[in-house]
Amino acid sequence: MDHQHSHLPTDQPVISLRDVYKAFGSNRVLQGVSLDVFSGENVVVLGRSGTGKSVLIKIISGMLPPDAGTITVLGEDVTVLGERDLRALRLKIGFSFQSSALYDSMTVRENLEFPLVRNKRQLTRKEILRAVATVLDAVGLSQTMDQLPSELSGGQRKRIGIARTLILRPEIMLYDEPTAALDPHRDKRTYPAGAGTI
Amino acid sequence: MSSLEEPREKHILSRGLDEAFMRLYRVAGFIGRFFKEMVRPPYEINEIIRQCYEVGYRSLMLICMTAFITGLVFTKQSRPSLSEFGATSWLPSLVAIAIIKALAPLVTALICAGKVGSNIGAELGSMKVTEQIEAMEVSATNPFKYLVVSRIMATTIMIPILMCFFGGIGLFGSYVDVHLSENTSFILFFEAAFEKITFADIYTSVVKAVVFGFTIGTVGCMQGYKASQGTVGVGRAANASVVISMFLIFIEEITIVQISNTLRAL
Repeated sequence: MDHQHSHLPTDQPVISLRDVYKAFGSNRVLQGVSLDVFSGENVVVLGRSGTGKSVLIKIISGMLPPDAGTITVLGEDVTVLGERDLRALRLKIGFSFQSSALYDSMTVRENLEFPLVRNKRQLTRKEILRAVATVLDAVGLSQTMDQLPSELSGGQRKRIGIARTLILRPEIMLYDEPTAALDPHRDKRTYPAGAGTI
Repeated sequence: MSSLEEPREKHILSRGLDEAFMRLYRVAGFIGRFFKEMVRPPYEINEIIRQCYEVGYRSLMLICMTAFITGLVFTKQSRPSLSEFGATSWLPSLVAIAIIKALAPLVTALICAGKVGSNIGAELGSMKVTEQIEAMEVSATNPFKYLVVSRIMATTIMIPILMCFFGGIGLFGSYVDVHLSENTSFILFFEAAFEKITFADIYTSVVKAVVFGFTIGTVGCMQGYKASQGTVGVGRAANASVVISMFLIFIEEITIVQISNTLRAL
């Protein structure tokens, strides 16, 4: 599998937020957030429910537009990128959802194949299957290959969701509530760090 | 009415109008985006074929059964009235006109609005509330093209095909009844049936089916795509897909028939 790393100078942050504001109606969620994440760094954002942790990482990945402020990811300003450029950038950003967000009409194998088949069209069937087996092994769920998400436990679904993100070998990992539904002893094994991790 | 109440009423009216225009604007934006994404590569050919199978093949049995029974019952119920005037020989023409010009596109669309429209609304709604659409977006896939364009194209292509099946099987149902009652031959029945049918009748029915198919797909996708508030939202999306589709189908039916009649009169 090819793996293109961005060639940013190590003294430049891979994620940079400056004075980011976001409100939903009268509910001001983010008020002037500024943050730098450097290569190899792991940042944990803690806060009570509804304080905007999920909103923050959705803004970083370009899924939500901020009301004000600039967001630079791997040297590119997310707020001004067009649809196509944003999609190319997202290939370098892994996003693990709070609810795992597995496609429930697909088996575990099809869930993991999906991002590869669509984004790495040069890969052969054999290479795709090998990549699927590798990530499944990494999260300790090789035996679930042909099961549907509805047949898995909450923790297993979460790990498959993370495996689906890792299969594209992103440079940055964004985890939303990463330890929810996981066994405490497994947490350490499940989360590999990228160039930057939130 | 006191002078104090006037501004409030105006405000409510104005708010209602604003909402109606905003809704129209969103519908126009959604349809505009569909056409933009449809013509822009890469094309989701495999997904369109899969959806055609889901919409077409999985509805075929229901359409065929309904068509056969409709043709048979329609013939049975029309016979006594026609025989009063000694006009039972007109039965094949009457049934053919009714099925090809009105029943085939309308009944096919109503069945599909219930079966396919609710399915699309519920499926996309469930994907929306469980963040599956967002997951597709972050894995660099265009969810609108993959989920919406493929489904709208599938309904637009398959509903006219299902309508043809409905027409054929409906006429066959009618033939079975005519044959059992009067021992009419297959060829004689179909010759009599198509005597009064023109190309314009068939063309109008195909246009209707295409418009109905597009409506069912668009309404289902739009309701599903904007679903929120968990399982309640999914139920609402499925329900709204059926109700709005059916309402629009009746309006479109009236409009197309009126336009077609006006054009023929020219």
